[in-house]
Amino acid sequence: MIEISNLFKQYGEQPLFNGLNLEVEKGNIVVLIGPSGSGKSTLLRCINGLECFQKGCISVDGQKRYGVNEQSYNKTDEDSMVKDIRRKVGMVFQQFNLFPHMTVLNNITESPVRVLGIGRAEAEATAISLLQKVHLEEKAQNYPAQLSGGEQQRVAIARALAMKPEAMLFDEPTSSLDPEMIEEVLLVIKDLVSEGMTTIIATHEMGFARDVSTHVIFLEKGNIVERGSPKKMFSNPKNKRTKIFLSRFMK
Amino acid sequence: MYKKLMLMIRKKSIIQSYLILQIFCFVICFFITNTFAYQDTLEKVKSSGVLTWGFDAEGGAPYVFHDTKHPSKLIGFEVDLVAAIARELGVKVQHFQNEWDSILLSLQRGDFDIALNGVEITSDREQAVLFTRPYFVYAEQIVVRASDNRINCLEDLHSKRVGTLYNTVAKQILDEMGDVTVNTYSGQIEPFKDLSLSRVDAVLVDLPIASYYAVPNPQLRMAGEPVGEGYYGIAVRKEDTALADELNIIIEKILRSGELKKIYERWGVWNVSQEKLFFHEGLLQKYTEMPPSLSKKVSLRVTTFLPTLMKGALVTIGISILSMMLAVVLGLTLAIMRLYGNKWLRRVSTAYTEFYRGTPLLIQLYILYYGLPNIGITLSAFIAAILGLGMNYAAYESEIYRAGIQAIPKGQTEASLSLGMSRRLTLRRIILPQAFRIAIPPMTNDFIALFKDSSLVSVITMVELTKSYSMLAAASMNFFQLGIITALLYFGMSYPLSIYARRLEKKLKYYDRNQ
Ligand SMILES: Nc1ncnc2c1ncn2[C@@H]1O[C@H](COP(=O)(O)OP(=O)(O)OP(=O)(O)O)[C@@H](O)[C@H]1O
Ligand SMILES: [Mg+2]
Repeated sequence: MIEISNLFKQYGEQPLFNGLNLEVEKGNIVVLIGPSGSGKSTLLRCINGLECFQKGCISVDGQKRYGVNEQSYNKTDEDSMVKDIRRKVGMVFQQFNLFPHMTVLNNITESPVRVLGIGRAEAEATAISLLQKVHLEEKAQNYPAQLSGGEQQRVAIARALAMKPEAMLFDEPTSSLDPEMIEEVLLVIKDLVSEGMTTIIATHEMGFARDVSTHVIFLEKGNIVERGSPKKMFSNPKNKRTKIFLSRFMK
Repeated sequence: MYKKLMLMIRKKSIIQSYLILQIFCFVICFFITNTFAYQDTLEKVKSSGVLTWGFDAEGGAPYVFHDTKHPSKLIGFEVDLVAAIARELGVKVQHFQNEWDSILLSLQRGDFDIALNGVEITSDREQAVLFTRPYFVYAEQIVVRASDNRINCLEDLHSKRVGTLYNTVAKQILDEMGDVTVNTYSGQIEPFKDLSLSRVDAVLVDLPIASYYAVPNPQLRMAGEPVGEGYYGIAVRKEDTALADELNIIIEKILRSGELKKIYERWGVWNVSQEKLFFHEGLLQKYTEMPPSLSKKVSLRVTTFLPTLMKGALVTIGISILSMMLAVVLGLTLAIMRLYGNKWLRRVSTAYTEFYRGTPLLIQLYILYYGLPNIGITLSAFIAAILGLGMNYAAYESEIYRAGIQAIPKGQTEASLSLGMSRRLTLRRIILPQAFRIAIPPMTNDFIALFKDSSLVSVITMVELTKSYSMLAAASMNFFQLGIITALLYFGMSYPLSIYARRLEKKLKYYDRNQ
């Protein structure tokens, strides 16, 4: 479903990824872990077309997007290519990024109506059922500022789902939440993955990672240091640095 | 009295008490300026050896104007006349440049000793100041384009567009005609310029002006005989009878000696009409009895001045709203060019903003209205006014929008893009609505400022509220009450705007992050 091959990415002169490879199959639940600055967010943003990259190729459901220095890079196609990819991949951010000037309902219906051209009534019906899924149907007419952080993040998830994506990217969805709200968001994500949604999630919630993931990837300074099944990674990591990193979370 | 006032202030709302205070200050100023100790001006002039003369050199040739060869030097037939008078008095002349519209008012305030600058003797003015015997017989002259043979007498001016000068008898004549579209100017060159450009069909001005500007210009011709004969007199303060007597003797003397004729001939303004100056006695009755239509007093009844002020207010509102709309649309375009455009669009936008912010609006208006015709673009005054104000304020609006757009967190754009929205849609649906909310308070400020700046368009012949006021005030010599009423009208128009903006801001506040 998502295939990253030989990815090179640098910010200015500072190289981050040096030929990174990653394949995510349909239904996979991939967890990205690693210290701050290791490139988790950048990787997700590259997939979603929010960042450009120098070399390599990211293919989403057969749609191939090339690095700007590649022969096959085509500037004129870039925009429509990125748009296609974004329709297939939903993204949830650490800061929720709900639109503050719209009600919860309009946050969710905005894109289906404007981008997919779905009728307002249908879009609203879908939005309500998505809100039920994240247990927030009674907040449909509220504005984001009237919601708690956990509620806002659940709305953000519903908003991404309204575009009917085939895969979801989560960038530390619970990192800016108070501890008592983390659980409600994780429950929603758990529900989602149990339905078989292809998911890549960057998180520091190791217990959650172990419970839901099919693959765990340990990233450090832009390199994949170790990858494997959650069972293997959490109980018996091979790499020393993975061990040190995990030991800090596993008490 | 003081106690009562304070009590009143406490009871009323803040706005009301503020207004009362303001009026209170006005009244105090009024009394102060009116209680100067009286001193006989003739005595003062003789003892100090200086006669202070009030005039407006912007009024122009051939009365008093700057010599183009020596721009610091004033020349004109009135300069020579005043020099002769001063010589007879045995004193020196001191110049006092004063806007013509308010020349009599400044005289009353004591800024100078005499006002001598083509001031027509009318019974209105005689209520306010004392005139000497006439020193010049003027008449109004119609000037048209040489190619235009439709207009040959005053009657032909009906339903035409006619240019004239502010606060002149010519303007009164045109107003009395009822169906003439009158364009009023404060300088003498501009009406002739607009005549050449066909912005007006004719110009009606005092004969000396007409001869000075129209005769040497082959494109223009004088149409028909002069009309509406009248007299220029030297104005002094009402109480200065001694000075007036002395001036009368001097005028008589230089008239009889032939010196006055020589001066007038030197400036090409002597004509047979001036012979009437000799029949002094008969004139005294005649010039105080103006034609009935012209001697109509501008009374201070609400029915006379309010419609004029209201008409001015409507023009002010129309110009303000239309130019603000232009400023908003153009400003937004400039901001978007600056933020999202390529290198060239960014440069154009920056240059525009810097240029318009860095040059005076007045000059921009002059260039639009009087300058553009030089390159073949002739705009109507209304269009030039809206373009001038709108394009100027667009520069400020663009900076407000730019700041507003930049204040929206990057995450908003990213979230919107990740939902598949295009950049354009993101800007329109996500960024601009939020930026707009931030921009409301500074936009309101600007709109109110523009509203007041709209009075500047009077320099390109638009008669809006401030100009209506100054014309009414100059005609009726009542700057005080009319001033307060006009100020209240402005306030009455801008205050609701502030309230509306505050409401709108509050209404949009519900989605604030830090509620
Ligand atoms: N816009 C940018 N410009 C320059 N450098 C950047 C930019 N964004 C990220 N970086 C750098 O790229 C590296 C990877 O950043 P990234 O945000 O992907 O890390 P992360 O793994 O998500 O960290 P965290 O756990 O703190 O979110 C960091 O060294 C960061 O400084
Ligand atoms: Mg991150």
